[in-house]
Amino acid sequence: MSDLTYAPSVTEKIFQAESADLRPDPTALISMRNIWKTYQMGTEEVHALHGVSFDVHKGEYIAIIGPSGSGKSTLMNLIGCLDTASQGDYWLNGKNVSEMDDDELARIRNQEVGFVFQTFNLLARATALHNVELPLIYGGISSSQRHEMAKKALSAVDLSDRVMHRPNELSGGQRQRVAIARALVNHPSILLADEPTGALDTHTSMEIMDLFERLHDEGNTIIVVTHEHDIAARAHRILSIRDGLIEKDEKTK
Amino acid sequence: MVRSGEGPLKPPRSASSRRLVLASKVRSVIPVRLSALSEAFFVAAGSLRANKLRTALTLMGIVVGVSAVIAVVTIIKGLDQTVAQTFSSQGSTVFTVSKNPQIIRSREEFVKFNKRKDVTRDDAEAIARLCTSCWRVGIAGNAVETVKYADQKSDQVRIRGVEPTTMFAIDGVNIDVGRIWTEGEAESGRDICVIGADLLQNVFGGAPADRALGEEIRIAGRPYKIIGVLEPLGSIFGFSRDNVVYTPYATYQKSYGSRRSLVVFVQVPTADRLEIAEDQVRTIMRSRRGKTFGEQEDEGFSLETQDVFLNLYSSATSNIYIVTIGVAAISLVVGGIVVMNIMLVSVTERTKEIGIRKAMGARRKDILTQFLIEAVTVTAIGGALGVVTGFGLAYIISALIGFPLLISAASAILGVGVSSVVGIISGLWPAWRAARLDPIEALRAE
Repeated sequence: MSDLTYAPSVTEKIFQAESADLRPDPTALISMRNIWKTYQMGTEEVHALHGVSFDVHKGEYIAIIGPSGSGKSTLMNLIGCLDTASQGDYWLNGKNVSEMDDDELARIRNQEVGFVFQTFNLLARATALHNVELPLIYGGISSSQRHEMAKKALSAVDLSDRVMHRPNELSGGQRQRVAIARALVNHPSILLADEPTGALDTHTSMEIMDLFERLHDEGNTIIVVTHEHDIAARAHRILSIRDGLIEKDEKTK
Repeated sequence: MVRSGEGPLKPPRSASSRRLVLASKVRSVIPVRLSALSEAFFVAAGSLRANKLRTALTLMGIVVGVSAVIAVVTIIKGLDQTVAQTFSSQGSTVFTVSKNPQIIRSREEFVKFNKRKDVTRDDAEAIARLCTSCWRVGIAGNAVETVKYADQKSDQVRIRGVEPTTMFAIDGVNIDVGRIWTEGEAESGRDICVIGADLLQNVFGGAPADRALGEEIRIAGRPYKIIGVLEPLGSIFGFSRDNVVYTPYATYQKSYGSRRSLVVFVQVPTADRLEIAEDQVRTIMRSRRGKTFGEQEDEGFSLETQDVFLNLYSSATSNIYIVTIGVAAISLVVGGIVVMNIMLVSVTERTKEIGIRKAMGARRKDILTQFLIEAVTVTAIGGALGVVTGFGLAYIISALIGFPLLISAASAILGVGVSSVVGIISGLWPAWRAARLDPIEALRAE
């Protein structure tokens, strides 16, 4: 009987521990708490993420690594505010993103996130300059200011001489650098790269990773999602994802 | 990640988050950012330029629809104007008194009017004597005959026996060459006539007017000497107003007797006197027919202005016009369907682009606006081209039929406006589909 009376206090302790854990870190740029992502597959529920919690501070260079199907793409979509969690809270730069609607998420993507994709995702018919201007257009910035900012971003990735070129007139590495200029032009809180070297040869890959390193040195917060260990090794912290959970979170540098 | 068709589960929203949503709604009252709007125009122009064949086909759909509507409306307006001008050429200062009205609507009416007494010369004289507001009073008897000259002949010529010669002025016709008969000639019933311009063409082989003077034409076997030729009035709906022969009434009577009912023409000096004159004439005629005011039975004569033609014309044609415009408008609807179809293809083809834009921070309404602008740009250009081709078509048709071309700015604006509305309506659904695309799904598209 005495065992039974003692039992609730254990539950209480666990509950307290959990709720303490659920509070966001006010100093962190990204604070994810107990994030679940559940998909409905017919009658069955599939959990892509099982309560993921972690913090990212300003100026960090993080790699998220994991095999395909581990949930790392889902996590990336959530970090990039392309999707919302089924459960849990996500604070980005002090704002609780997990309860925002479509238009508010669009605004967050515009202001806080710079995307770099594996397949570059540039507008084929637009010039490099116009591609870089795109986030500024949806940020409501005037055209003259836009030109100036976009040119500056392009020169930061050494593409000052390719401003009026269209993507099909550029090499893979140059296209990815246009994409990086586009990601940075709005001075976002995080630079989120999804397999940024997946479509590039080894030599160009190294150039792009060198560029990331430089950008990190300049103070940018970078999150690279990859399944390649040598790409992940360039980061200063590696989050390993497996089966929808963080398996390992280690500082490497 | 594998995703099913059904959406992910979302936790219920707390009250505080709802307040947050509300605040953001207030902020986004400004409909679309100017930069996004000009981007939408830029993208629309680029996309239209990039898919030239598709743009041409879409344009064609709208051009056909709008030009059909514009052509039909323009032609109808031209016809209306022609009819109005023609029937009011005698001005609104002329009215007639006759046994039968100009338009008989039913057999019952026909029977009723046939019971009436003929309108006679005595009636005309009474009106001329008693009506103080009347200016000119004349009589006319009408017939239709074949006119012959040598081996030439012309069918369906209107023969008009008139008295006095002021009837020429009441009818609004002028002598071109020659003269009008004298009072003496009229009284003695000489076999003389004044011919319309068409007869020069039809029986004199297009000879100049003065060549016809003094010649003798035969009407119903009787010879008439030509003493004058009228200025041409032109035709309406291919029906010439110049295919006419005027003779003195006494001459007319020799051929057609006095048994035929005639028509009394009354002209007032100005249009504002018309009503008073009509009232006076009505009173005179009623007393001559032995009718009193307020009786329900037939008053025994018909008093009409030329408006009856206009009224009949508009009542007969208004429904036809509505149907015609409606049929033309169907082609505009088809054009709208073409636009919708092409826009749906365009949205599907550009799913990836939509994904990229959404990832870069485009909101639903930015995407919606972009595709709407694209649809409206195409349809507005199509509308403008359609207005031009529509006027062109109307020009050709009006030149062929022979009526004035009325190009109105209103129908041009209407054409472009309607086609833009068609653009909005048919672009709305594709644009909405584009706007609600999931950014992740869209980015994954090829």
